[in-house]
Amino acid sequence: MADYLLKKAAQLIPTILGVVTLVFFAIRLIPGDSTSYMAGDNLSGEAVDALRERMGLDVPVWQQYLDYLLGILKFDFGTTMVSGLPIGQLIMEALPVTFMIAFLTVLIACLIAVTLGTIAAFSAHKGKKLIDQVLTWIAMLVDLMPSFWMALLMMLVFTLSLGWLPASGPIDFSDPVGLLQRIALPLIVLSLGQIATIARITRTSVLEVLNEDYIRTARAFGTPQLLVVFRHALKNAAMPIITVAGLGFGNLLNGTVITEFIFSIPGIGTLLIGGINSRDYSLVQSVILVYSFLFILVNMMTDLIYKYFDPRVKF
Amino acid sequence: MTHINRKHTAALFILMIGIAMMFTACSQTGGGSNSGASGADSEGNAAPAAGGEAGKVLKVRFYDDPSGFDPASVFRIENENIAFNVFSGLTTYDSESGQIIPDLAESWETEDNKTWTFHLRQGVQWQKGYGEFTSADVLYSYERILDSATASPYAAEFNNVESFEAPDDYTVVIRLKDPDSNFLHVVANFHQGQIVKKEAVEELGDQFKWSPVGTGPYMFDSMKVNSEIVLVRHEEYFRGPAPIEKIIFSIIKDDDTAAIALQNGEVDLVMRINRQEALVRLQDAGFEMNALYDRAVNVKMFNTSIKPLDDIRVRQAWAHAVDWTGISEATNPLLESEAFNLLPKWMDVYTENVPRYEYNPERAKELLKEAGFENGFTITQHLNASNGVTDSDQLEQEFLKAVGIDLQFELVDAAVYNQIRNKGEFEVAGRQLPAVNPDMILFSYLHPDNIAPKGLNGARYNNPELTVKLEAARAEIDPDKRRELYAEVQHIAMSELPYIPLYSANGYWPGYDYVMNVTLNPLSQVNFYEVDINK
Repeated sequence: MADYLLKKAAQLIPTILGVVTLVFFAIRLIPGDSTSYMAGDNLSGEAVDALRERMGLDVPVWQQYLDYLLGILKFDFGTTMVSGLPIGQLIMEALPVTFMIAFLTVLIACLIAVTLGTIAAFSAHKGKKLIDQVLTWIAMLVDLMPSFWMALLMMLVFTLSLGWLPASGPIDFSDPVGLLQRIALPLIVLSLGQIATIARITRTSVLEVLNEDYIRTARAFGTPQLLVVFRHALKNAAMPIITVAGLGFGNLLNGTVITEFIFSIPGIGTLLIGGINSRDYSLVQSVILVYSFLFILVNMMTDLIYKYFDPRVKF
Repeated sequence: MTHINRKHTAALFILMIGIAMMFTACSQTGGGSNSGASGADSEGNAAPAAGGEAGKVLKVRFYDDPSGFDPASVFRIENENIAFNVFSGLTTYDSESGQIIPDLAESWETEDNKTWTFHLRQGVQWQKGYGEFTSADVLYSYERILDSATASPYAAEFNNVESFEAPDDYTVVIRLKDPDSNFLHVVANFHQGQIVKKEAVEELGDQFKWSPVGTGPYMFDSMKVNSEIVLVRHEEYFRGPAPIEKIIFSIIKDDDTAAIALQNGEVDLVMRINRQEALVRLQDAGFEMNALYDRAVNVKMFNTSIKPLDDIRVRQAWAHAVDWTGISEATNPLLESEAFNLLPKWMDVYTENVPRYEYNPERAKELLKEAGFENGFTITQHLNASNGVTDSDQLEQEFLKAVGIDLQFELVDAAVYNQIRNKGEFEVAGRQLPAVNPDMILFSYLHPDNIAPKGLNGARYNNPELTVKLEAARAEIDPDKRRELYAEVQHIAMSELPYIPLYSANGYWPGYDYVMNVTLNPLSQVNFYEVDINK
């Protein structure tokens, strides 16, 4: 285990260096820079050139690259090019928000999806086709609904008609009740998307396990049915579910852009998209750096959870 | 197993929440440095405001992440609106009429439009205890804009200035190289004209843009990055304290969400909604729409240096071929007013006396035939990908097809779009003309000195006859003669059509009826000093 962690940690450095380099050059390949974004409708070419000089964009690219690498070594991300705010701080403020939402989404989604998926598998196994079909169809339907549309629908119902949940407002960690109300809608929208995927995986893999010999043996010994399904079948079917949930969590850390935009949530996705739109090279580079670090971390943690569910897993 | 599993999940959950809390704790300690000097200040101020019920608090939707409020670098209307309320200029704009009125200067005089003498108000106090405002502050602010170390994109606005002088504490004399009848716009409460305090700028350095100090009715209090901005009133404002004590700008990016937040009472007032459906919904629900019609003209820019767009008849044919008003009425009736000229109607030198191009496909075909394009031609227009190919674009494409013009679209994202337009590397593109002063529009877009990539004349339009009149208008002291010269300029421009006016944009700030006196001035900004809450 310790070997494994060490090996992974050693891989971390070249991976991140690769990502950083790729992002550094990739974003510079997109035409236009921050100055052309700031120019808007009414700034002349001359004024734009002056701006470019001030922002240090007239410096040779290799020098910008070296400066950037040196900055990372010192854990200094610098300030954003457009707004001049410290990037480290921006990320530290956005990260907990996104992290919390991603985590709660996966948690809620897993609880619901695993239950539904298992019920579907059990029904299918028992030959109760109808329940299985209905659940599978619902999962498909939910999966196919675009998140921005779901978000609007939820707001119309829960905010406008019922008046239960707010559509906007500050994210305030010191007020847990207000915080939960504030993030309830995004949580619902995001977990619906995850539920569909996880439920389908659960159904497939539990169904497979239910046909195994040892399940039949357990049943032959007279073990109660529910216990067989939830203790023996589910645990053995857990690997693919964890993989999907882990990937989902990783994606949620970065992939909630649309939901964050609609619900005005100041998370990492918002930060990244804002950076890309305004061609804020330093901001985009730093966010991607942090994000890739987190993604690798999540993958490592998923591996560790495998070990818990399946002691046969060797690293 | 279920039992054990639940225990583990609970433990994991607590762990995760713990980590999240840790992050927050870190970010909050960092938060102080973010809002700079005002950070400590804000906590002290916020407590009594929150405790006392008496103070009026206004919650306003803000539609994008702010990018700073330093006059030397502020950009985009929403940021400029904050700066407008924090700072003052020597002059400012009347909210209703858009005309220049006194601000920090009580009065001024000029005999030749070249030497301008401003008499400053006495006893004006800076925000946050920076003392009394004097002419030295004016000189400092202007010199800061011109200082190459500031690298202000607005430095060019002072190109015509020969010298700034302050004979005493309450007088400023500005000498120009060439006469400029529109100079009062240059020193207005906007961009380079906004007066900053030397001591505050030097103390805060780079962070001045996040902790601005001015002489305006509202002070910058605090900011939660990408979430909210708080202004509190400046108790010693020279016109007396504003009616509302505190304004909280809440960042809501999506227009539909903003409309729902308003209906749900989460905000009192919405800064700008640009989505037709959301506007209709709010209008039907009985909200005050606080509209500004005919705010700024949107034009189609032709690159007049390439074939076939170099031919006036082709451009006129284009204008005749499309039912512009019909398109606006069909797609965005609330957001677009009809436009026949480059200037919006509210400007004092605006004239009705320009050629109009009614929808007449037969005439368009004739013009094309005369120009030798009987069989039409194919041409490409660049569009901003964030808007995509709109219904209006598609309708225009259909109208043009009917007379033989094959219009192709190329989508590029905002930064590239701006770059293409600034360099003049397009065949056809669009622009919204600035709505500050007529001279800025006409000079920037029609004068040969400003041909792209140097300036904003993206059409590369160069007509010596018009240029002479434009320069004469700038120098003219007699307002009537000046109006006449500008009218002739508009007439020539609309006859030769380097730009086709498409429509004039309307602005809306929907809100509850208890939010009184929300008036969008021609810069599309609200002077919050005038706004009151009457519940």
